[in-house]
Amino acid sequence: MLQSDNGPLRSEFSDDPDMTELVIEYVEKMPQRVHSMVTAFETSSREQLIRIVHQLKGSGGGYGFPQLTTVADRLEQRLLSISDQELRSVDPEFRALIELCGRMAA
Amino acid sequence: MPEAQSTTEDKRHSLLVVDDSEDVHRLLQARLRQENIDLIAALDGKTALAMADSEKPSLILLDLDMPDMDGFEVLRHLKDNSDTRDIPVIVLSGLHSPADKVVAFDLGAVDYVTKPFDLMELRVRLRSALRMSDLVDMLGKLAHIDGLTGLWNRAHFDDRWAACTSENDRSGRPLCIALFDLDHFKSINDTYGHPAGDGALQGFAKLIKREIRASDIPCRYGGEEFALIMPGTTPEDGAIVCDRIRQELGAMNWPAHPERKITVSIGIAGADADVEVSPEQWLEDTDKALYRAKKGGRDRVVVANLTSGQTLEFAKAA
Repeated sequence: MLQSDNGPLRSEFSDDPDMTELVIEYVEKMPQRVHSMVTAFETSSREQLIRIVHQLKGSGGGYGFPQLTTVADRLEQRLLSISDQELRSVDPEFRALIELCGRMAA
Repeated sequence: MPEAQSTTEDKRHSLLVVDDSEDVHRLLQARLRQENIDLIAALDGKTALAMADSEKPSLILLDLDMPDMDGFEVLRHLKDNSDTRDIPVIVLSGLHSPADKVVAFDLGAVDYVTKPFDLMELRVRLRSALRMSDLVDMLGKLAHIDGLTGLWNRAHFDDRWAACTSENDRSGRPLCIALFDLDHFKSINDTYGHPAGDGALQGFAKLIKREIRASDIPCRYGGEEFALIMPGTTPEDGAIVCDRIRQELGAMNWPAHPERKITVSIGIAGADADVEVSPEQWLEDTDKALYRAKKGGRDRVVVANLTSGQTLEFAKAA
């Protein structure tokens, strides 16, 4: 992939006419998802966070963002192995996902 | 009427997607638009079970990892319910769960797809599962069809007769059954050969199919005996249909033996409402009516009304 590590992350399906509209909708919903994840993280709602991360993992690749699936998967695995009180310990994985979501573009 | 001959290609299928992410529903909707599939979707296990029961989809694509009721539990419920047991299920499993796949197969899944799914792989797996389930359906139907006449066979008759009598018992709807026996059939075989005998059985089966309603159940009962279950039909109405069949058969010309007509004796037993008669006794009463038709000179209909206890005979000249 020729995309830079910090630039906008485009969907692999951005040129697929069947998918254009769906991908735009998906990306437009990202800020709201990021907001929900940050709230869950700050209120130590681990279950809630797992739910959202799990859905991103399941859908990311399908919308042309395989990296989203990989990074969300890494975070989900960590979240499943800790208690609610240890939520802070997944900070690096959490930041990686938030950063990735922020770079997504149709 | 048996329809086992329809091919699997022209059939439109429905797919129930069970996944807790609406994004996945939308994605599949877009990705499977080219396929000959109607897609319905459920966000949770409980809704999925209700939809599987009411919609009877051709195939279910089931995510294992869902909140509240997970995919394994959904699969267990699907397989416990006789109405949904035979719907094939493909599970969607995560990247880290090879053990889950084993459990899913043990519970009755036919295949799995790993999320995030590859579009081409998903398509071919869906097609393959649908093709397989169509073939299984067809085999199931063929096991209930009489090879010579294309009517339902005795095994199917036994199933349906039990179901119809219990429905009559429950609802009080009229029900009637007719047994047909081709007159002097053995002499047709002996005189003109077995192909002529087979032709007579096939010709009679064709005639029955033409004369009855879609809800009637025509069966080859054995040898030259046929049975016709007529749900929702009073014995009097059943007798009218059967007498028409009798007259039409008597008028038919047979290329294998133009000089020889074929006739049929028919016994009917039916009820206008629910009756206190076991399915076996009901059949015996029908058989008795058939025996009377034979004894009375053949080529006639004898009808017993189990509600009134009356027996009537039809033997008008053809």
